Amino acid sequence: MKIVVCVKQVPEITDVKVNPETGTLIREGITSILNPFCEYALDHAVQLKSEHKDTEVIAITMGPPQAKSALLRCLELGADRAVLVSDLKFAGADTWATALTLSSAIKAALSDVNLILMGKQAIDGDTAQVGPELAEILNLPQITYGVEMHLTSSKKRLRVKRETESGYEVLEVRLPAVVSASKGDFIRRIPSFEDVLAARVKELREISADDLDLEETELGLRGSFTQVISVFPPQQKQGGIKLEGLEPEIAARQIAAYLREEQFI
Amino acid sequence: MHEISTKLTPMADFDNIRRIDGFEHIKNEYPTYLTDESKLSPEACDYLFFPMDESELAAILKQMSDRKLSVTIAGARTGLVGGCVPCKGALISLENFDRVQAVYYDQPATEWRIQSQCAVSLRSLNSQIASKNFPDLIRCGDSAALSGLQRFKNDPDHYFYPPDPTEMSASIGGTVATNASGARTFRYGPTRDWVRGLRVMLSDGETLSIPRGKYFASPGGEFTVYDSRGNDRRITLPSYRMPRTKNTSGFYAAPQMDLIDLFIGSEGCFGIITEVTVALLRRTDKMSVVQFLDSDEQAIDLVDALRNEKRVQLDFLEFYSGNALDLLRQRQKQDPKAVDMPAIPEQAGAALFFEFGFAPMANKLDYTALEETIKSNGASLSDSWAAYENRELQRLKDFRHILPETINAIIAERKKQHPELHKLGTDLAVPDSRLRDMWQVYKDRLSAADLQWVAFGHIGNNHIHINILPRNGSELQEGLKIYGQFAAKAVEFNGTVSAEHGIGKMKIKFLELMYSPEHLDEMRAMKLAFDPDSLLNPGNIFPT
Repeated sequence: MKIVVCVKQVPEITDVKVNPETGTLIREGITSILNPFCEYALDHAVQLKSEHKDTEVIAITMGPPQAKSALLRCLELGADRAVLVSDLKFAGADTWATALTLSSAIKAALSDVNLILMGKQAIDGDTAQVGPELAEILNLPQITYGVEMHLTSSKKRLRVKRETESGYEVLEVRLPAVVSASKGDFIRRIPSFEDVLAARVKELREISADDLDLEETELGLRGSFTQVISVFPPQQKQGGIKLEGLEPEIAARQIAAYLREEQFI
Repeated sequence: MHEISTKLTPMADFDNIRRIDGFEHIKNEYPTYLTDESKLSPEACDYLFFPMDESELAAILKQMSDRKLSVTIAGARTGLVGGCVPCKGALISLENFDRVQAVYYDQPATEWRIQSQCAVSLRSLNSQIASKNFPDLIRCGDSAALSGLQRFKNDPDHYFYPPDPTEMSASIGGTVATNASGARTFRYGPTRDWVRGLRVMLSDGETLSIPRGKYFASPGGEFTVYDSRGNDRRITLPSYRMPRTKNTSGFYAAPQMDLIDLFIGSEGCFGIITEVTVALLRRTDKMSVVQFLDSDEQAIDLVDALRNEKRVQLDFLEFYSGNALDLLRQRQKQDPKAVDMPAIPEQAGAALFFEFGFAPMANKLDYTALEETIKSNGASLSDSWAAYENRELQRLKDFRHILPETINAIIAERKKQHPELHKLGTDLAVPDSRLRDMWQVYKDRLSAADLQWVAFGHIGNNHIHINILPRNGSELQEGLKIYGQFAAKAVEFNGTVSAEHGIGKMKIKFLELMYSPEHLDEMRAMKLAFDPDSLLNPGNIFPT
């Protein structure tokens, strides 16, 4: 079985700070990591591989050359090989152009794929669109928000437990298929020192726009239907009431009076 | 130059200084101020002060001196030996001395430095250095401070402050007063090695500004301190030699030593540190590895091998004993999410935790020396956990911290049945050549006593924390007796009774194992030369 895991490199922060004057992200001093949801997807792939020995796990990303570090992390965590899809022509891609580029790269660089796994979303953009779009472009069935996945005994279908707003559903899908992963209930892997060193000698192939069967007008900003005009943080919630410079006893009385007034107590 | 003059500090109006009067009031409303991580019980103190600056601090000292009341100084109260637990008189919290004052490049030393008031926490300091964002300087800095900051921001490299005591909420002043150390002391030395300047208020309210490298003891081992009234006090250095280990037992002493080193690690006996200048180091990428091993003895063999392999430069070298891993395995079974790591390998009978420079994107990685050292000790690189991303490095650190947390939780549970119980954690260090001997002493004595215990900590500095977990009162007494025997053995091996926690009020007895009565008298004479009325921090180092 061949499993492709699509991954993304993201800034290592959850509270993204925005320069209020330029509207751009402040990236000073911020390192990049493998998107945590992509790591969960990879973890499912490696888990499937441990259950079915004849499985190959391939990590793929579209990004600038430095996105290689996210692929190295995948190789450390158990991917067998990796593909970096990188070209200046991909710059400014929205979710559609990204999904189109990735699907074209999967077709160009990899054959006979049985399963495509992705994180449910990236922690920087939070769109959760690339997975479903990729499935549509490749005309494959898809399951989103997967937290557990196992092959059926015939190995032709995948059984997926998925999160919903009210609980869980268990679905089966015929392969090949696309599944996006949520966090699930497992402890994250950690590579050994040997894994880290071995990752540096595994195959990491780079492909560019020339390797894809796409027109330039379908790539990057030109191929995007949407464009980010500006980025801004949401308005901060107003702080609560703060009592300062009071003796504790007086402050406690005032707080109790307020809680009574507002009928909390 | 061995002579230095103090400067008069302007004095604020004592009545305007924020203070809490009366022990009952303090105990009821401000109980957290009355102890530190030692959980030692305080003696009744009359006042709790919150001075805003040196003029208020000087006024408090003057008033307390006139009233013949002693003062105890508190920073962030993270100490483990009760140094800031009040002993009658007044308690002064320095929490308002909380501003970073400057970041500047020192050309002669070719290093970046930070000048800070004493209450800034290490966490805050490190976060400001990492982000190069110093709100205090932007808000209150003069043009020189702002230009230093701009130059720091323009420097493409990133920096950090190397000392890393476990408790990063510690105040920088507290860490200087106790010469704090941590895991990275293995490579970078203790706090002492990074202090470049101090501002100290003496018990008479006058201040000393001491840059490193200016005031050295005379060949006869003396300093002379003149005050603004023209009086002089002569400080005679003690005649003992310091152990050649990491050490926080007793005052620092060395021939023709720098005056600044006398105050570092003096536990507040000589003066109150109000400002600190420290050096920074360029930050480079690191990898941490937890290497699992078959046994404690194999771990000690590997420690020796790693220390002898000069091609390998480790930042820290820490230890988990086999029984410590067993305790963590139990915790993992009970609460896998709290431990948040894959299962500890079943066959692992000990582990070493170490860090070294690592460039994740380098074209070629060559760790041959490290690989060979590990493999030739019979260990396998595949039995390890490795991390280099920030969040992963933190994950391994959290795994390290979960061990003492687990011990504390077990003791807390046992205390419900036996309220007198407390944790017994040793802080002894010995020279490199005695690591194996000391380990054998620990293992033989504890096995014979049938006590529950685990070992972890700074094995690279031969500074293993033995933690005894008594199950009842008689085991506690047995444990205390054994701890005393271990301390005596460490001294016999030319080691120290306190490598990093200090003496404070908890280990005075141990100090007597390490120093002769004459040496203790020499220390006391130094204390009295600086603080003739024993106003400052009574009960620390010397019994009251």
